Amino acid sequence: MRKFFFISIMLLALVRVAAQNNKKVTIAVAANMQYAMNALKATFEQQTGIKVEVILGSSGKLTQQILEGAPYDVFISADTSYPQTLHRNKFGTVPPRVYAKGVLVLWTTTPGIVPSKDLKVLLTGNVKKIAIANPKTAPYGVAAEAILKHYNIYDKVKDKLVFGENITQTNQFISSQAADIGFTAKSVVLSDEMKGKGRWIDLDINTYAPIEQAAVILKHGAETNKDASEKFYSYLYSKTAKDIFKQFGYIVN
Amino acid sequence: MIEFEPFWLTLKLAFVTTLILLVISIPLAWWLAYKKNNFKTVIEAVVSMPLVLPPSVIGFYLLLAFSPSHAFGKLLQDYFDIRFAFSFPGLVIASVIYSLPFMVHPVHSGFNSLSPNLREASYSLGKTKWQTLFNVLLPNIKSSLLSGIVLTFAHTIGEFGVVLMIGGNIPGQTKVASIAIYDEVETMNYDAANTYALILFITSFIILLTLYLVNRRFDKIKLL
Repeated sequence: MRKFFFISIMLLALVRVAAQNNKKVTIAVAANMQYAMNALKATFEQQTGIKVEVILGSSGKLTQQILEGAPYDVFISADTSYPQTLHRNKFGTVPPRVYAKGVLVLWTTTPGIVPSKDLKVLLTGNVKKIAIANPKTAPYGVAAEAILKHYNIYDKVKDKLVFGENITQTNQFISSQAADIGFTAKSVVLSDEMKGKGRWIDLDINTYAPIEQAAVILKHGAETNKDASEKFYSYLYSKTAKDIFKQFGYIVN
Repeated sequence: MIEFEPFWLTLKLAFVTTLILLVISIPLAWWLAYKKNNFKTVIEAVVSMPLVLPPSVIGFYLLLAFSPSHAFGKLLQDYFDIRFAFSFPGLVIASVIYSLPFMVHPVHSGFNSLSPNLREASYSLGKTKWQTLFNVLLPNIKSSLLSGIVLTFAHTIGEFGVVLMIGGNIPGQTKVASIAIYDEVETMNYDAANTYALILFITSFIILLTLYLVNRRFDKIKLL
């Protein structure tokens, strides 16, 4: 009997240790953050030993999944309004906090097309299709629309626009040359995967509303995985994370 | 609240796809049914591939194929000034590939179910292969042809993944009903999504019901 107890206790202890080693945090991440997230994830896992599981999607889709009860711990959005919606609906436990500002670039991988800051290139005959993210669900799409309107060429290029479901698909359209040129996040063209592919140009950041990207701890994280969720959330605002954001072209305060 | 353009586009796509597949599938199914060689087996497998390949795979390869950076897309762009990605004709090509087995399989099994005597009698009465096909074989597999037509039509109406990959969500060009529904769900307009879905549901149900009713009549004719 005593032996049995001893073994049981040993087993319980083992299970506990295993559980501690299996700590993970599930992060819902807006598509534009895909590449910066790889670097963030690596550093965080090294620092804490907590595994990071990344779920990618457009901010709109992720928000909707969270409202339907998706089991994510932290939400990293491409804007502030989606996290606010979650917070309003009691799905976020803290008010959304901006971690970085996104920057829009004009990118092409088609030979013979040179992106120009004044967007005049979009009016040329070589440019038949312009890829942007869907403005209904992706903040980078909203910014792309705004900049086209700012230069008064939106109506002229309207028929050339094709809509990626999110930034990831927009990138796919541009990098496969199915679209001749397109608007994407600067973090994309600075990533290892896309570096040196085609040509890109910075756009005047005063021509579109700043893409303030905020994050929020979710109810699911706060209730079931408090420690890891909070650790990851505060890590997002640490100097380490800020340096990574800068490296990927984001603006941090 | 909701636009009808996506439905119109969906019906147009389903109609054109069905028509093209009917023209392609009859000779193909005929060949599969009456030719006996090893190459036939390979073609049978190829025809069935769209059943197993995820739409995302088909869509992605089509996107690459249509892109001017690859041979096929470049040829189209340079010589014909056509680009299939993000256009209605591109969706038609994708749907034809994606719905191919839905037309070929029923017609193929229709041919297989016919007695060989029919063909032989027709040939011995001096009819050519084409005359035999149109005057003897096809009238005898009406119900298989109908299944093929309806299945293809219905399958194209429900198409989503491939269109999402190569369509680019352009209103009036590639924004079909299934994409419109997805869009509304994404933007949390559940009411609009519901309306779209209900219309699509009823349309599909009516189409399928018609098939089974007509099919019953055909069976009766066969019995007489």
